[in-house]
Amino acid sequence: MAKITLKIPKLAVSMQEGTILEWFVATGDTIERGQKIYSIESEKSVLEVESPFAGSIRLLAETGTTMKVGTPIAEIIS
Amino acid sequence: MSAASLTPKQALAIYRDMVRIHACDEQIQLSLRAGHLQFQYYPCGGQEAIPAAVYSVLQPEDQVVTTYRVVHDIIAKGASMREVMAEMYGRSTGTSKGKGGPMHLADPQSGVMVTTGIVGAGMPIANGLALAAQFRGTGQVVVVSFGDGAANIGAFNESLNLAAVWQLPVIFLCQNNAYAEYTSFADSTRSAAIADRAAGYGVVGVTVDGASPDAMRQAAADAVARARRGEGPTLLECKTQRLQGHAFGSTEEHMDQDVLAAGRARTPIHQFRARLIAEYGIAESTLQEIEKAAEAEVQDALLFAEESPEPGADDLYTDIYADVSVVPDSGTAWRTPPPPAPPTGTPRQLMTCQAIADALDVAMANDPDVFLMGEDIQDPAGGVLKTTYGLSTKHGLDRVRPTPISEQAIVGAAIGAALAGMRPVAEIMVCDFTLVCMDQLLNHAAKLRYMSGGRTTVPLVIRTATAGNVGSFGAQHSQSLEAMFAHVPGLKIVAASNAYDAKGLLLSCIYDPDPCIFLEAARVHFVPGMVPEGDYRIPLGQAAVPRAGTDISIISYSWGVPEALGAAAALAESGISAEVIDLRTLVPLDWPTIAASVARTRRALIVHPAVEFCGFGAELAARLQEQFFGHLLAPVGRLGARYTPIGFNQGLDSMHFPNAAGITARARALVGG
Repeated sequence: MAKITLKIPKLAVSMQEGTILEWFVATGDTIERGQKIYSIESEKSVLEVESPFAGSIRLLAETGTTMKVGTPIAEIIS
Repeated sequence: MSAASLTPKQALAIYRDMVRIHACDEQIQLSLRAGHLQFQYYPCGGQEAIPAAVYSVLQPEDQVVTTYRVVHDIIAKGASMREVMAEMYGRSTGTSKGKGGPMHLADPQSGVMVTTGIVGAGMPIANGLALAAQFRGTGQVVVVSFGDGAANIGAFNESLNLAAVWQLPVIFLCQNNAYAEYTSFADSTRSAAIADRAAGYGVVGVTVDGASPDAMRQAAADAVARARRGEGPTLLECKTQRLQGHAFGSTEEHMDQDVLAAGRARTPIHQFRARLIAEYGIAESTLQEIEKAAEAEVQDALLFAEESPEPGADDLYTDIYADVSVVPDSGTAWRTPPPPAPPTGTPRQLMTCQAIADALDVAMANDPDVFLMGEDIQDPAGGVLKTTYGLSTKHGLDRVRPTPISEQAIVGAAIGAALAGMRPVAEIMVCDFTLVCMDQLLNHAAKLRYMSGGRTTVPLVIRTATAGNVGSFGAQHSQSLEAMFAHVPGLKIVAASNAYDAKGLLLSCIYDPDPCIFLEAARVHFVPGMVPEGDYRIPLGQAAVPRAGTDISIISYSWGVPEALGAAAALAESGISAEVIDLRTLVPLDWPTIAASVARTRRALIVHPAVEFCGFGAELAARLQEQFFGHLLAPVGRLGARYTPIGFNQGLDSMHFPNAAGITARARALVGG
């Protein structure tokens, strides 16, 4: 069993922070690898992010708040 | 090229590797995109078929040197997916214990000897690995992988030429993906194909389609056969398409969007998969099994990495040198090695240059792995300073190898041969010329042990002359650059002041497990001394005290020592007792001897022929002040060369350097006499 922490990703060299626009999943959901889990807005664009891993997800961050790259936003327990 | 040139088994093996590479590359990008991982990553999408096909003709013992767009190369050569993934995570179970990272994966077990982050720098090193294979008759072939951008780097020219001259069993594999980072191939060269350049070196050049495993496997098989027959190198160019920007997250605006979209819609994996079904009659279910197995392998590797420990504080100073106490700030106290048993060989009077040749002769007679490389080192010249005189006549031109004027190729070849376990001694004629191969010295020789997590080592010696105060050499043939070498962790730095030490220190360097820079002062090359016959060693990190004294410690090395001794004699006439310390090696530094001396004399003057400003003496002075601040009777003095280039005019040259009279005056001022 592994716990994987997802953080605000660095999607471009200049990206410093991002804002989660929407969670497509909720705490306790079982998710698949490749499943879209949230959308994020950074300086340039909006991107829908896929899960790198299958497992049970726990959300750590709310939508609408701007957070620095590297801020933990969710955990996946596999 | 017809599809029939591959057997179904070969075709499936190549496809399996392509799929494994793709799965790994995709997973890393998925993890980066989701914020699970964060590092600079250079995806290999579009290039999977190249190593999958080319390396399929290699044997496990054949070797690869590659570059930072690496995942496809290292997986195709057979590295463990778990260890590759763990290295991406920076974990201690990674290929390099988390010290190398995605740009410096090394896996000697599978034959991946070096991954460099410096464009083009792998080629000189691959030559050295191939040279070792040639020397030992192992039949190994070395493939060095690089991009089209690297073909415009100077190291490419030096390496192709040297490989051709020596007919080395090396394949220069150019993965031409049409972009050098953000600049297109068309904007970088007027060559239609990189392989066209091979003819200029007398090398076979072949360009093949990087999406065609059949064509690449055949071309690689031909190149390998040529190499194993002793017919030398091949420049194999695989034209491919990079299916994303330079790095993860970097812009793709500079790329032709229509071409990019078309490439993504029909990748080499798509193309080959369709052919496996249509031309080879392979069942869809077989391919799906391969794809599922690859995903499972990647997931397993991901979990392995995730659960692996990170390197800790205990790992900070390890894998820099074989012995952690060499690291000056490791907190592991350097112990001055005990003096060795006195040499038993009959002493003869030799000049320093002859003592150096004597050391090389002894080492070559003792050990078939020792060999020499350099410009003009062969007889009748025997080196421009006569340090190799007579050796090619005695040991042959295979072991006393004259080289083209190609410093990067020389040092790279020494690195590669050392990686293979040989003990190369390369000569860079004068220290100033090390500046044209600093990348090989500082980015590679110094760091490969560390970047591989200690899995590779580079036991080489670079001999180079520091001129200075011998007149007429001027600003580009006379510098003492030891402070530059000392500033980059990983090198040992030796600077003998006399014939006896030169021989004993050089022999120690040759058998040392770490890369050594052996600085030879031209000023003392023709000064005679008594030198025993045979093998004797002076341990690195053991200073000498050629004159004991009580009022001041004069700390020097190289040709500063005879000047300091001259000053000490003059000071004695006016009643000042100066102790002279000859450091002999700067790294490792014999701090215990320095500290014990200054603790007694309570005054220190550091003297060196290198420029005083930011010189090695600054480090010693700072350390002395920190340790002895309240105990010192005078500020620590430094006397180095003036902050000027070295002038041609003899008067300017003399004013630039410290000398016995200047040392005497400074010492007298510090003692207050």
